[in-house]
Amino acid sequence: MKRIFLALLRRILGGFALLLGASFIIYMTVRAAPGDAIDAISPMGTPPEVKAQLMAEFGLDRGPLAGYGVWALRSLCGDFGDSLVFAPGERVMAVALPAFGRTLLLAGGALLVCLCFALLWAACNPGGSRRSQLLGASLYGVTSAPSFVIAVAFAQAVNELVYRLVDARGFVTPSWYPIPIACSSMMPYLFAGITLILSDGLLIDLVNYLRSELQALRRSPFIAAIRAKGARVTGHLLKNMVVPILSAYASRLPVVLGGVVIVEYVFTLDGAGYVLLEASKNRDFPMVVGLSVLFTALVILVNIISDVVKGWLDAREVAHGG
Amino acid sequence: MGGDHPSQECKAPSTPGSKKLRSLPLGLYLSGGIVALVFLLGLIAPLIPYDPAAAVDYQRQLAGPSWSHLLGCDGQGRDIALRIVKGTEAFFWPGILAMTIAVIGGAACGACAGYMRGWVGQAVRGLMQLLDTLPRLVFIVLLCTILDPGMYLIATTAGVLFIPTIAAICRRKVETLASEDYILAHIAHGFHPAWILGYHILWLQCRPLLIRQACTVFSYVLFVETALSYLGDYGVQEPWPSWGNMVAQTREGVGFWPWFVPAVMIVVSIAALLAFGNAIARREEAMR
Repeated sequence: MKRIFLALLRRILGGFALLLGASFIIYMTVRAAPGDAIDAISPMGTPPEVKAQLMAEFGLDRGPLAGYGVWALRSLCGDFGDSLVFAPGERVMAVALPAFGRTLLLAGGALLVCLCFALLWAACNPGGSRRSQLLGASLYGVTSAPSFVIAVAFAQAVNELVYRLVDARGFVTPSWYPIPIACSSMMPYLFAGITLILSDGLLIDLVNYLRSELQALRRSPFIAAIRAKGARVTGHLLKNMVVPILSAYASRLPVVLGGVVIVEYVFTLDGAGYVLLEASKNRDFPMVVGLSVLFTALVILVNIISDVVKGWLDAREVAHGG
Repeated sequence: MGGDHPSQECKAPSTPGSKKLRSLPLGLYLSGGIVALVFLLGLIAPLIPYDPAAAVDYQRQLAGPSWSHLLGCDGQGRDIALRIVKGTEAFFWPGILAMTIAVIGGAACGACAGYMRGWVGQAVRGLMQLLDTLPRLVFIVLLCTILDPGMYLIATTAGVLFIPTIAAICRRKVETLASEDYILAHIAHGFHPAWILGYHILWLQCRPLLIRQACTVFSYVLFVETALSYLGDYGVQEPWPSWGNMVAQTREGVGFWPWFVPAVMIVVSIAALLAFGNAIARREEAMR
C-alpha cells in the first residue's frame, strides 16, 4: 500500500514538474519574439502604461529565469493578467475558465460517447471475419476526415436540410439557423459533438485499440478458466477493460482538444478554442498564453488522474511503473 | 526469431504471413496511387505559372465542369483544377520538412532514450515527456501569434512536436531488441553503437514503424495547413490557393461544387496517407 502511495505521489510531483517545464517552454516562446518582445506581444496602439503593466506581468523587465519565476508565481495563483482586446479590462481567468468548462464538457462528453460506441463496436465485431473487415474499412472511410472538413460539411448539410424542410415552407426557423450563428441553443453544441466523434480518425482508432485489448483479454487463461466453469464472463471482461478504457480516454483527450479548437470556431461556440483563436487573431496575448497553459495543464491533469485511478484499480499498473 | 527463417515464412503458401501479404496489394496500390498523385502534384505545382489576379474572370463564375475547366470554376471564375494543383504547394514542402524533422529527431531521441542508461537516457526521456504535454494545435496557434506565421514555421513546430511520439515507438523497439542475441553478438564483434543503433535496429527493424509515422506527420501538416488556411489568418491567404481557403468559400455561399472538390481532396489525401503508411508497415512486417 505504501509502495502504491509513493508511486502515486511521485506521479503527481512528476506531473507538477511537467507543468512547470511546459509553462517554461511557453514563457520562453514569448521571450523569443523578434525585436522588442513587448512590442511583439502587445496589440497595435497599446498605451505605454498598459505596455508597462504587460512587461511587469510577463517579467520582461528582468532576466529570463527571474522573469519566468515572477510570471510562474503569478500564474500558479491563477493570475494571467487582464485581457487586452477580447474582453478588455477583464481578468483572463474570469473569461477563460467558464469557456474552458464548456470546452471540457464538449470534448470530454464527445470522447465518452465515442468510447462507449467504440467499445460496443469492438465487442460486437471481434475482427478477423470478412464482414468485420468491411465494416472497419467503411468506418475508417467515414471517420478519418479532418474535423474542420466534417464541421463545414455537417453545417452545410444541416443548413440545406432546415432550408428545404422548414424555411422554404414558411415554418418558424430554429434559433440556431443558419449555422454558424451566435445563439443560446444547445443544438450547435450537439452538432459540434457529433462532428468531433466522426472526425480525425478518433472512432476507428478507439475501435482498433479496444478491440485488440478485448481480444487479448478474451484469450487470457483466467477468462478460459471462468468459461470452463460455465460462468458468465461479461462482468469480468468489463471489469478488466476499465484500465484500457481509462488509458484510451487520457491519451485521446489531447487529440479531441486539438479538434475542438477548430470545431468551436466553425460553429461559433463560445468555448476555449473559439476564445483562443479570436484572442490570437486580435493579439490578445495574456489570453492566448493563459489558455495555452490551461490546455497544457488539462492534458497533464487528465493523465495524472488516469494514472491515479489505474493505480487504485490495478496495483500491477504501479508495479510496472504505468 | 523462433527458429524459422523469415524468407521461408513468406514463401510458404499456407502461413498467416503470406496470407496477410496477399490481402494487402489492393489497399496498398490504391492508397499508394493517391499518395503518388499528391506528391506528383506537389512536385510539378511550382513549375506551373499562376497569376492569382489574372485568374479571376467573372464571366466564368461558378461554371460547371467542362473540357476547358475540368473541375469547373469558383465564385470568382477561377479554374478549380488549377487551384487544386497549385494548392499542393502550400503543404508539400512543409510536409516533407516536418516529416524529416520528426523522423530523424524521433529516431535519434528514441534510440538514445532506449539504448543509453544513466542520466543521458533519463534526460532524453524527460524532454520527450515534456514536449509530449504540449497540445500541438494550441502551441502552433501560440507560436503564430508571437512570430511571423508561415507554413515553414508551422511545419517545423509540427515536426518537433511529433518527435516524442516517434521517439516513444523507437525507444520501445530499441529496449526490446537491445538484449537480443544478434545485437549482443554485434556488440561483442566491436561494432560501433551508432552503427548498431542506426543500421541494425532503426533501419532494419524500425523502418516500417518510421514509414507509418512519417505518413502520419505529413497528413498532420496537411490537416494543419488546410485548417489554418480555412480559418484565414495564419495559413495561406487569398488570392493564393490552398485547399483550406478553397473550402472557406462556403462562407461566401458560392454553392456546392467550389468547396466540395477541395474538401474531398483533403479527406481522400489524408485517408490515403494514413492507409498507405499502415499498408507499408503491415507489408514489411508480414515479409519478416
